[in-house]
Amino acid sequence: MIRLIRSNRMNAFPTLLILLSLLISGCENRYENLDISVYQYRDTKDLVKFVYDASRMIKKDGLKSVEFLKNDRQIHYSPDRYLYIYYMNGVNIYHAGMPHLEGKNLWELKDKNGKKPIQMVIAAIKDQNNPHAWVHYSWWEPGKFYPVPKSSCHFKVTTPEGQEIFVGGGLNYPHEEKEFIRILVDNAAQLIRAKGHDALAEIADPASSYNFRDVKVFAFTPEGKLLISPVMNDSIADFKLMDCVDEMGHKPFAKALNGLKNKDSVWEVFLAKNRYQRTLIKKSLYLRKTYMAGQEIFVGAITDLPQPPG
Amino acid sequence: MADAKKYEYAVNEVPPIGHLLLSAFQHVLIMVVAIGIPIIFAGQLNETPAFTASLVTFSMLASGIGSIIQALRLPYLGSGYLCPNLCGPSYLSLSLSAAWIGGLPLMRGITIVAGLIEMFLAPVIQKMKSIFPIYVVGLVVALVGISIVQISVTSFFGLTFQGDAVRNMDIFIGAVSLFIMVFCNIWGKGFVKIYCLIIGMFSGWILAMILIPEYWQNLLSVQNNPLFAMPHFHSLLQPLSFRVDLLIPLIVIAIGSTLKTFGNLLAAQKMSEPELNEVNFVPIRNGIIADGLATTISGLLGSMAVDTSSSNIGLAGATKVLSRWISVVAGTIFILLAFFPMLTNALSQIPKPVLGASLIFSGCFMICAGLIQMLEDKWDQRKTFVVGIALFFGLSTAFLPSLYARVPKLIQTFFTDPLPTATILAVILNQLFNLDRLFEKIRKRD
Repeated sequence: MIRLIRSNRMNAFPTLLILLSLLISGCENRYENLDISVYQYRDTKDLVKFVYDASRMIKKDGLKSVEFLKNDRQIHYSPDRYLYIYYMNGVNIYHAGMPHLEGKNLWELKDKNGKKPIQMVIAAIKDQNNPHAWVHYSWWEPGKFYPVPKSSCHFKVTTPEGQEIFVGGGLNYPHEEKEFIRILVDNAAQLIRAKGHDALAEIADPASSYNFRDVKVFAFTPEGKLLISPVMNDSIADFKLMDCVDEMGHKPFAKALNGLKNKDSVWEVFLAKNRYQRTLIKKSLYLRKTYMAGQEIFVGAITDLPQPPG
Repeated sequence: MADAKKYEYAVNEVPPIGHLLLSAFQHVLIMVVAIGIPIIFAGQLNETPAFTASLVTFSMLASGIGSIIQALRLPYLGSGYLCPNLCGPSYLSLSLSAAWIGGLPLMRGITIVAGLIEMFLAPVIQKMKSIFPIYVVGLVVALVGISIVQISVTSFFGLTFQGDAVRNMDIFIGAVSLFIMVFCNIWGKGFVKIYCLIIGMFSGWILAMILIPEYWQNLLSVQNNPLFAMPHFHSLLQPLSFRVDLLIPLIVIAIGSTLKTFGNLLAAQKMSEPELNEVNFVPIRNGIIADGLATTISGLLGSMAVDTSSSNIGLAGATKVLSRWISVVAGTIFILLAFFPMLTNALSQIPKPVLGASLIFSGCFMICAGLIQMLEDKWDQRKTFVVGIALFFGLSTAFLPSLYARVPKLIQTFFTDPLPTATILAVILNQLFNLDRLFEKIRKRD
């Protein structure tokens, strides 16, 4: 036997590689129809896959799979995320972390900032610019008593019984993805183009989907006149955006506008102090060109960039 | 002359061609870790894939040239040790700031000046040899190993971004890779012992592709890269610029980088020539000049600043293969790889936990070599406080970055990183706590 192994050891490595290739290429990729390449964080990608898997199961097995989920709630519950299912009218069908919500209609439920999460989900599901129906709001953790920021994704499912429902899951303390900002700013730009000046009040409303956590969609004219301030809830306290500098003296707005001469949207990186002004972190400004009553204006928002580990 | 029996291949020995190539490839596998730095850099600037590819290519060219001149031992240039260069993180934040403010011309300008500062500091460090007693040198070498703790451990856990999820499978892959490397190094003989890192890395890579299909997909994606591509040398014709207000932070970072190179070269000397009773500062000076020149060349090419690699020195110590000709061949391979994007991309797909395991493996030798050297000196209370206080404040810069963001500007300038902070403190405290002995010496002389 040993002699056999010795005589064939030179063939062992290529054989192993071929077997490995066959093994891996033979595996079916169940996420072929799910594009998660736009997300940077593993947490976000995992959440989308988690909700997508559950939506496929319900699409295949129908509402009877809800009973299966209720039998073992731990399968779809972890300290960072959990699954929930609602009818499109806001009645909760299943909640992995908060069973006491099941059967209740949460259509009018408001978070601490006045946002109505269920209504936001329904709007997000209809939004073609938001393929995974992301919404951002405040919630609370099962058994806890303080508000927790959440970003949740959703899939609409028509069950074999013909029932329309949505399946969702949210991350507690989520990361800020650049994709979240792109969705908000692109939607705001579209709204302004469609509704003109009237859209500004809707976008500036702190309870609207255009504002969450530290993210605030703002707008200004090419001359730098603020239509929606990036820092205040009114535009009376005016300041010159083009002259604003980051912590290194770099002018992100001036540079971004330069980039917008040839494009419709642009990302610009800059350095800012973090929440407690302790260390410097990299942030990104996203600006998009749009039109309000025929006049060119710019809509944008600012987000954190992923920081190197450490 | 060193006893060649202590090594598989001594510093001046030329290994047979097969071993030379395979050992060089083993070093290239560690150098590949640094390809991530220009990619991060370009990502932070939201630059185009073409810019990223060009930055990676020029960084590889500069690293390759630096590795060769470091090992060749030319007059006043190069330490003559196995001490490859790679694109180091020391200048990352300053290069980013420069690129934001003044684009590539300013980034090139500050990189060139950083190299010149380092070359200027080389003879200064040689003149200051009296302030680096053996135990302080040992401390510096240990700190060079400690300085890669953060990147090693975060890679070991497969982490790409701060605060992101850690996969159990990544921990398993990292642990298996590290175990194989250590197992081959302790119990392996001949081929297995010398190439423990290659064996561990490829075993870990195969395991990762079996357990996590994403790694297999990543490897398949390299097919989209061209096999051969010429770099765009037009950046050489672009103008250079410099801003005086960046000079002070540049000098501080250059001093830190020089001290790191100093520590790396000390470690390389300790491993290559353990029979030396005291530090030979001539190759150290020449090595720092070579490092400065490599940084200047990288600036001229339009790449990021390069630096000597702690991990490669650790690997040399682990395998006892210290031939400087391996550095020459590794540098040449790195230069050639710069023209083959598909191969470079394939190597850069090595899973992070596997890379982390290789960095931990080589870092162990740096830390222990330094500690052993430090404790070889006759110990007394003065040394306890010099080393202790230097370590307390040096390591605190890594443990408490938010604290140092709020301290007065002067302290903030110098307390940036464990290596330069602890080195500067150890040098100052060593002088301070030995003032009585100095006075005594002067009095006796008078």
